Amino acid sequence: MTAPVADDPVAQAKAAIEYCYEQGWTDGLPVIPATQADVDACLATVGRDPGEIIGAQPHLGRSITVAQAAANAVMAGCKAEYFPVVLAAWEAVNTERASRGAWQSTSGPAPLLVVNGPVRDRLGINYSGGVLGPGFRANATIARAIGLMVRNGFGIHPQELEQATQGLPGRWSICIGEDEAASPWEPLSVVGGVAAGTDAVSAMLTRTYEYVDNRSTDSAEAVLHDFADSLARIGAYVGGPHSSGGLVLGPEHAQLLGGAGYSRADVQQWLFEHAVVDRSDMAAAGKGEHAAPDPGDPGLPFAMLPAAADIPVIVAGAANAAMSMVFRPFGWAPWSGRSVAVRYPGS
Amino acid sequence: MFDSIIDPTKGPAASAQAGGPTLAARPASLAGLRVGLLLNTKRNAEPFVAEVGRLLADQFGVQVTVARQKPNIVETAPQEMFDDLRTGSDVVVTGVGDCGSCSASAVADALKFEAAGIPAAAIVSDAFIVTADAMASLRGAVGYRYATTPHPVANLTEDGVQARAAQVVPAIVELLLAPALAVSA
Repeated sequence: MTAPVADDPVAQAKAAIEYCYEQGWTDGLPVIPATQADVDACLATVGRDPGEIIGAQPHLGRSITVAQAAANAVMAGCKAEYFPVVLAAWEAVNTERASRGAWQSTSGPAPLLVVNGPVRDRLGINYSGGVLGPGFRANATIARAIGLMVRNGFGIHPQELEQATQGLPGRWSICIGEDEAASPWEPLSVVGGVAAGTDAVSAMLTRTYEYVDNRSTDSAEAVLHDFADSLARIGAYVGGPHSSGGLVLGPEHAQLLGGAGYSRADVQQWLFEHAVVDRSDMAAAGKGEHAAPDPGDPGLPFAMLPAAADIPVIVAGAANAAMSMVFRPFGWAPWSGRSVAVRYPGS
Repeated sequence: MFDSIIDPTKGPAASAQAGGPTLAARPASLAGLRVGLLLNTKRNAEPFVAEVGRLLADQFGVQVTVARQKPNIVETAPQEMFDDLRTGSDVVVTGVGDCGSCSASAVADALKFEAAGIPAAAIVSDAFIVTADAMASLRGAVGYRYATTPHPVANLTEDGVQARAAQVVPAIVELLLAPALAVSA
């Protein structure tokens, strides 16, 4: 026999979740209803003013506070101890000039959040096998919190103020750790200006992810050539500084490149120089106006990436196969390259 | 029953929602009026709006006195640009809202001019009606009217832009002369 809702805690929980759906507070998946006690538990992990405004959309007349962020983090499924990382991720996303207007854009970009530092192991943030996939609470819920903050804090809903043409899978679920031990290079956050060993989050807005599976060679240049081919895809090109490309290198590829003497900056430079297409191919795709012949040398190929420094290179994944992921930063502004240190009470 | 659940949408008071919409009084005729053009950086927006201005001058005796291009498609025009248009024109045409952000933004710009006493007509492509209406609603102006043109605009040829501009001119004239809220709203 079914117990009445009033007596059955499971039925009550389901009714509370349903209530949240009815209010329009969810991204389509169930949320954890947030209480003041939950919010207070989050706030205790950061020691910041609950009323502090941490983001605004002046053209929409909306802004969001630390306390609202906490409520949305709880709803996303975050544990209270994730909250410092959520705030750093939010700051990192908002640091990117590309995020201005991104939530309304037809391109529908997804934040890519990259976590460095000891916090990865402390919270169980995955940086190894299946790093871009599901299965890890911290990865899944920290990324989701950002999406709920945009939805509930800024009031930007799909098919209303959000006008994504197609969007992309995982729009609010891409949070990865960097595998610092498997990387031959300094952590991404160190390049981004945060001291080694300090917890930090870097963010980019991205439009797509495409694998490069190359287990066929031990040549660093051959693997780089393979990456450059995917990075030079014409369809991704939308003009000027708006189209970059980046890599989530699997540890095998990273170690192959590192072992051949390539620094991260060398990899970026190589890719910048080799991710090129013939200008005639741009014209054939109807994008000739972006790639007029170079007056000095009409035969010169066209560089598809704006600058070496605009090519993010991150190391994550399992060391069990030589594959990597090319991704596409979105933006009407270049990647800042900056990382944001996670702030804790007293830090 | 669920009073203990925190409302995650509740934040600081939204300044843009304060008060109802203030819409500009309409002139009896466009003849002799100064027209300001506010355009965005989307492909074809500049020639489209410029052609609208030219047709208004040819057909209705207005003078295009100020034309400014917004540096940012997301936000409303910077204050200095807004002031140039406000002081240098009697009515304003803004557009073309043919993307997710700039469609809402074109309506937001138009409403700012309305609040300053300048009748405004925003041009938005018909793929973005929902988001343009959402912005009007956000600004307390449910039913605020604007002119629409078929989407897309970005891939039109020069001739295509001119034809579209000609098509939208009657709607713009009507918007600048008639009450700015839809009667049925």
